[in-house]
Amino acid sequence: MQLTRARTALCVAALGALVLVSSGARADGRASASTTLFLEPGTGTTVTNITPQVDLSQNLGDDVTLSVGYEADIVSGATERLVDAPGIDVVTGASFDDIRHSVRGGFEIRHDVASLAGSYTFGTESDYQSHAFSLTAAAELFDRNTRLELSYARAFDRVCNLSQPRATEAVERQALDSSDGCFTENTARTTNDLALHNFQLSWTQAWTSTLAVQLTATANLAHGFQTNPYRAIWLGRGGAQEHAPEDRARYALGVRVNWWLRPIRGAVQLAGRIYRDTWDVESFTVEVAYEQHLGSLFRLRARGRYYGQSAAAFYSDDYGREPRGQYFVGDRELSELTSILVGGRFAFVPESDDEGHVLGFLAGLELVARFDWLIRDYANFRLSGLEPTDTQAFVISGGIEAGW
Amino acid sequence: MASRSSSELRRPGQRGRLAALGALLLVASALLAGCATVRPEDREFLAEPAMSFSARSREAAMDEHILQNREGSMGGGTAGGGGCGCN
Repeated sequence: MQLTRARTALCVAALGALVLVSSGARADGRASASTTLFLEPGTGTTVTNITPQVDLSQNLGDDVTLSVGYEADIVSGATERLVDAPGIDVVTGASFDDIRHSVRGGFEIRHDVASLAGSYTFGTESDYQSHAFSLTAAAELFDRNTRLELSYARAFDRVCNLSQPRATEAVERQALDSSDGCFTENTARTTNDLALHNFQLSWTQAWTSTLAVQLTATANLAHGFQTNPYRAIWLGRGGAQEHAPEDRARYALGVRVNWWLRPIRGAVQLAGRIYRDTWDVESFTVEVAYEQHLGSLFRLRARGRYYGQSAAAFYSDDYGREPRGQYFVGDRELSELTSILVGGRFAFVPESDDEGHVLGFLAGLELVARFDWLIRDYANFRLSGLEPTDTQAFVISGGIEAGW
Repeated sequence: MASRSSSELRRPGQRGRLAALGALLLVASALLAGCATVRPEDREFLAEPAMSFSARSREAAMDEHILQNREGSMGGGTAGGGGCGCN
């Protein structure tokens, strides 16, 4: 779960400023609350994740917006502790329950066609801590038909690990057995650092009154501990804590196209992305969505997404028989895989009265329900020779957003 | 799928020509951007939430969070922009 946390921390930081940009546009203030349920059923490995979150932003005059937010990640489930060991139940005793708390705050300053936004996010859980900062500068050109945006996010993360000073080689290190004693004076525990840098440049263009296109280039650099400290890999004669390179550079280029269809009051949304990193993972993503107004009160969106990736250079699902050099990992997200997502979004947007108010005092209100179904196929990931059973996931969420 | 085998088969010259073509298209598009002027009074449809790239940023963040944890890629996602251009 640790690499998961790292991704989360930087994702939250990078998008923190974006949330500010989008929230301060029309109303003096906005509040939103939502809860998301992620369910990944599997034989002995079911994962349930509940994520409530709340955000509040307030404009101070025309040029400044401040925001705060809180999010919890309540996770329970089970995971493999010793991957690929022949004849051993890889799941027994590997259950986990944890809560990640994340608080964030940010600002945006606007002046004419330029804006500057920043955010800070602190995330903590029993075995992981993160401090993440982001800064986003944007300029709108050509009568605001062109927007250029540059952002940088930096995260300082710490991962709890088992203290084992006598283990000088990676194959001698054992996996962490629990988070007890993490981030305390307990001498059986230590911490590993993970530094993350995220650069993003985007260009958004309104080409016509019904067509907008966005290009986004992202570079992400990670240095430090990037594996799951709880997971061990069977290496033929015994198990050792998984071991990955300390550095990873990741590059992605994405394009999004939104096209409004006047006669039927709907929008087609297309997205594509290509990705490559220095662990030799290559992927591409395509997504098609359609959003339709249903009368004046409802909006319905349906989407489909396809994703495919190659395996990391050092990935193997049986290091005992097929070692891949000095590194060994059991992370199936580094294996060759494809995934398909289908989902829908339903929104209720009450009409405003003659004075532009909803319920007499709000500038806007929206109630949203969403559902996604994610199906994955792993070409070369097996657990002790068995097909994984937890290849489907369901995401259900509901939320409310109000502006004043 | 962009499998490693297919990229290995692609000759370096081909990859370079594709990159050059992509860069050329990008530069041409950037030069044309100044010519594409949508007047403020014509931005009614661009102001629709479905046409904005940032109107649902918190939902996009949650999507990205979930998918990054189940896939090996990240980035290239949503940025601010789009919409009515009336900030």
